[in-house]
Amino acid sequence: MALNPMDIYKLLPKTNCKKCGEATCMSFAFKLLNRERRLEECIPLYEDKKYERQRKKLEEMLKPLEEATETGLIVDESLCTGCGNCVVVCPVHVEKDPKGAAVGKGITIDDPILRVEDGAVKVINMQACRRYGKNRVLCVVCRENCPTDAIRFLEG
Amino acid sequence: MKMSFVCPGCSCLCDDIEIVDGKILHACRRGEEIFGKYKENRAKPMVKGKEVDVDSAIEEATEALKDSENIAIYGMDTTTVEAQQHGIELAEKLNAYIDDNSSFCLGEFVEAILRKELPTTTLEDVRDRAYVMVYWGANPFHSLSRHMSRYSYYPRGAKRPRGYEEDRFLVVVDVRRSETSKLAKKNAMFIQVSDDDELVDSFFKVVDGKAAKYAKEAGIILNGMKKSDLNVIFGGLGLKYGLKDLGKFVEMVKKLNEVAPVYFIPAGFHGNMRGFNETLFEKVGYVNKYSFRDGKSGGEFAFTELLKNEKIDTALIVGTDPVYSLPFEVSSKLGKIKTIVVDPRMSFTARIADVVIPSAVSGVEAGGTMVRSDGVRVKLEPLEEREVNDVYILNKIKEGL
Amino acid sequence: MMRFSKFLKVEADIVVARYALVMDETKSKTEPVIFLHPEFAKRSGVKESDVVEVEANGRVVKLKVKLSESAPESGGIIPNGIYASYLTNFDGFKKFKASIEVSEGEPTSVDGIIGQLKT
Repeated sequence: MALNPMDIYKLLPKTNCKKCGEATCMSFAFKLLNRERRLEECIPLYEDKKYERQRKKLEEMLKPLEEATETGLIVDESLCTGCGNCVVVCPVHVEKDPKGAAVGKGITIDDPILRVEDGAVKVINMQACRRYGKNRVLCVVCRENCPTDAIRFLEG
Repeated sequence: MKMSFVCPGCSCLCDDIEIVDGKILHACRRGEEIFGKYKENRAKPMVKGKEVDVDSAIEEATEALKDSENIAIYGMDTTTVEAQQHGIELAEKLNAYIDDNSSFCLGEFVEAILRKELPTTTLEDVRDRAYVMVYWGANPFHSLSRHMSRYSYYPRGAKRPRGYEEDRFLVVVDVRRSETSKLAKKNAMFIQVSDDDELVDSFFKVVDGKAAKYAKEAGIILNGMKKSDLNVIFGGLGLKYGLKDLGKFVEMVKKLNEVAPVYFIPAGFHGNMRGFNETLFEKVGYVNKYSFRDGKSGGEFAFTELLKNEKIDTALIVGTDPVYSLPFEVSSKLGKIKTIVVDPRMSFTARIADVVIPSAVSGVEAGGTMVRSDGVRVKLEPLEEREVNDVYILNKIKEGL
Repeated sequence: MMRFSKFLKVEADIVVARYALVMDETKSKTEPVIFLHPEFAKRSGVKESDVVEVEANGRVVKLKVKLSESAPESGGIIPNGIYASYLTNFDGFKKFKASIEVSEGEPTSVDGIIGQLKT
């Protein structure tokens, strides 16, 4: 399920042509995964017919990126029972909502990262997530406490 | 001011449900179905397969009860304490048997608690103080979805401010690798048993410093328990059916209390099953399977036994669905007796009933009191009021006798 | 009709448990499903979305297979509901042994079971 830059790199032209503005194809692969670059920026991949098969594979591979939120979080509502573990364990929620989510109650702040709505967890405000922005950290607490993988991250 | 509702979906009775712009907030999937789909599959008043008006259905039920010799009233685990009181009075007036799902669910644990044989505590105290929490034969992820996030492992409590990884110790006991067992990671333990009695036995032996099958696990748990002034065992249906003898489990909890404070809270059941147990206990001193004719409770008075042994000719079934939940050898007997179903839904049992009386969804269309799994009483305010509710129906039958 | 069975009957441990993802609080339906442990299914030659005959206590229901790692390693979970109730007795109310074999056709309908209750 998880994507890693090596798998992406293997399907790129590996010529380090720099047409995309990156020094190496590997660096381009990393930035694709972080969604700082788009696949279309690899010009040879689209212009040279010999890369067609690889391009199609890559497009398929990178599809989940479009569905994922800016931090790489993916929610599959069909696996969610609305247990609320993710909402309550989130360190940002605990800090911002000491009388609500921190003590187990339904989250009371207006712009939480996650909230259980209509029986399943929904992403409300990804910008507040610690995985977002310049000083991001690779926090996975919500995923760790979801026993059905209703919450996943792109990198696994 | 935001309006909060109590969810009657299970014995957690979560009191923080909000409905904002048509969205149901904070309720789990089951709760969402209660609030979001309460208008679906509604029962219609029926007599012998023909639709009638409500009053005629109530009248028909009253007449049927007057004509019957041996009556059982069964269910009421999803209705309010107020309706349960009417149901119990009705059973008394009819000299009937009365029972609910708890007789094959967790009723005997509740009885042990009410008789003060099992020490118990509240979920608020669990949240604020508990260190070791044992889920034994329970998979709250599916059965009581918010139990762990709302009340036990995940919330930060007054004396447990550092969160689950440091301030709690989770133990999951099950015969399989349940979803809940997958949450037992750091500062936690999963014990996969094949025979629950062996673990009971191990706790006994470890307190006395003897060797046992699960000595290592029991030893670690016991040491954890010694660190806290409150530890809790949540017992579910897996525990109930895994134990050969409840008495031995009760003794085990007592034994553990010689070395550390350990409390028990049942983990399972419908919104107000404990309410039924407590309401009947207050009235007659027993929690279920009671015969007003004999003035006592006994295994032979369990609804399932009465049915199996063909001891009843009429059953008044309130807010429960035995065709859905009872073994076929028992439910198949329902076809042979007169059945009166009081339910908001066209349940499986309603589909084979002689009389169907449509009622209100308690907690959504009717207010009242319910009792949480830990015995705390919770007041429910309805979203909208429906006149013909369980209290109305049971009272009208009672007056009509 | 002669029935040629390509598959072996296998013994399975069945756990009956609540399964929130397939529950119906409106009491209108039950999903005819059994969650088998992936390892058990593999050993037994059963695949996801096969229909299997599950036999216990002399009664048989046909259920659709889904795979779940939370099922017991030696069998599966049947969610609380009319199908589980049809197979169980009180001496094995939450855990019993059943035999499982791959079958053809549609899962058992709820009406098929309720029909047997009416006399």
